[in-house]
Amino acid sequence: MKPVSSFLEQMLAKVIALLMALIVIDVSWQVVTRFIMDDPSSYTEELARFLLMWIGLLGAAYAYRRHSHLSLDLFRHNAPHERRMWMNRVIHTISLAFALVAMVYGGLKLVSLTLSLKQTSAALQIPIGYVYVCIPLSGVLISWFALDNLIHPEINDTVEG
Amino acid sequence: MDISIIILLVSFVILLVLGVPVSICIGVTTVLTMLVTIDAGPAFTTTAQRMASGLDSFTLLAIPFFILSGLLMGQGGIAHRLINFAKSLIGMLPGGLAFVNVISCTFFGAISGSAVAATSAIGSFMIPSMNKEGYDKNFNTAITVTASTTGLLIPPSNILIVYSLASGGVSIAALFVAGYLPGLLMAGALMAVCAIYAKVHRLPVGQKPTFKELATTTWAALPSLALVFIVIGGIVGGIFTATEASAIAVLYSGFLSIFIYREVAWKELPAILVKAGETTAIVLLLIATSTAMSWILSYENIPQNLSATLMALTDNPIFILLMINVILLLVGIFMDMTPAVLIFTPIFLPVVESLGVSPLHFGIVMVANLCIGLCTPPVGSVLFVGCSVGKTTITQLVKPLMPMYAAMFGALALITYVPAISEFLPRLFGLIDW
Repeated sequence: MKPVSSFLEQMLAKVIALLMALIVIDVSWQVVTRFIMDDPSSYTEELARFLLMWIGLLGAAYAYRRHSHLSLDLFRHNAPHERRMWMNRVIHTISLAFALVAMVYGGLKLVSLTLSLKQTSAALQIPIGYVYVCIPLSGVLISWFALDNLIHPEINDTVEG
Repeated sequence: MDISIIILLVSFVILLVLGVPVSICIGVTTVLTMLVTIDAGPAFTTTAQRMASGLDSFTLLAIPFFILSGLLMGQGGIAHRLINFAKSLIGMLPGGLAFVNVISCTFFGAISGSAVAATSAIGSFMIPSMNKEGYDKNFNTAITVTASTTGLLIPPSNILIVYSLASGGVSIAALFVAGYLPGLLMAGALMAVCAIYAKVHRLPVGQKPTFKELATTTWAALPSLALVFIVIGGIVGGIFTATEASAIAVLYSGFLSIFIYREVAWKELPAILVKAGETTAIVLLLIATSTAMSWILSYENIPQNLSATLMALTDNPIFILLMINVILLLVGIFMDMTPAVLIFTPIFLPVVESLGVSPLHFGIVMVANLCIGLCTPPVGSVLFVGCSVGKTTITQLVKPLMPMYAAMFGALALITYVPAISEFLPRLFGLIDW
């Protein structure tokens, strides 16, 4: 599992950098069209909103892998090694459960529901369902990372608090 | 409602204590609370749907940009420029370095939008140099930590953007302008502590700067400080929206760090983008799950019931505001700012509005209050970073922190009971019309 996780982590970093660069260019373009060409683009705002959702959810999986989400570290921090590993396992099991039911199951339901209602975005005419794919995708990634951490609870176990 | 609220509180506390990431903690708690009244399938789908709707917002777009511009500025070496500027401005007073620290942390916190970044960037330079001058190490760390949080009230401020969202549309421009005086008041209160401390401990006096030093340090710091004025001037003048302003902030800080200060190389940009994306995502996942939680809270009528309970206790506005502040301080001890604002705004805002408090003023009170929570143990990322930068422990910080908490409480009381501190500037600039 480990090599796959590292590969996914690196890929995520590349995709996030790309999406961030895109969102900067997109909103800058919006500013340019509004101020210089006096003809505000109608696509840029919508695209930026969608990019933000993708950055948020793919970034959430990336941050999960790197253990950079905020948490109350006090008790885990002070626990002896063996107990800390067990706490890590419990934490990753709970996260796995959430990712599977709310993000993968709930997310897929949401995607299919939105697709079946044929909702499309106002400016870009993209089916909104495709935009929401980031939720189950992020859920799958978080589940994978959580599983990897269940087997290897010492990965990224940062205890410097 | 009773069972739901018990499940909500108990599961939240257990998960939090275990060390589950706060955003996932909030998500799991939301799902469990939903399961009391809603079937499993719809509950899962509703959670996903609320998470999606929480993120799909034009208001939030400013957040990644302000984070990115803060990172670019932070990497671009504004820390020592701000410190040198503050030194030549007030370094010659008794206890001058302490004042320099407060001012640098406040400005850095405002420009970078991150109290943690301010503590590590300013603290890693200021704490050792204060130690060398004979200041107490724990005092130095405590003042860095507390001063760093005051920058969050001074725009650009992501937490005020989150409040704008939670309150259902208080203008970001008005909130930004409203934050200046309360932020400076907090910093002023901390400087008062430094002044007394300097008197008692007879702290060394810095050198008086020559005119030339003053001119060069001001010139060096000017482009960094200009960011605040360009961004806020543009928003307040109605030239651009908060989101557009944040994109301009990115372009400006990128230009400054790469071409003028030359402290960021092109090849470092991808790493900075990833870091900004990751930091953004941490906030966004909190926003997503908190949105789901506030949905189930209002579905269960919990805000209305809590409001009614509060109002039944007393209808004295002074007392109600005091109670709300105490509750928020307790919340702030255990919870991060973002979820606290998203979850408690819908609960408290209707109560205080019925007492005649404006949503604008209340937003500032809430953020000022939660800033204090950032520097209280056990959950306080700023405090942990401060301890590692200052090479000390939380236990040793408790004593020097006490007078600083007292000063911040004093400032908070003023901000709470004197609405003019928050509302004067927005009114002056015509951003509010009452």
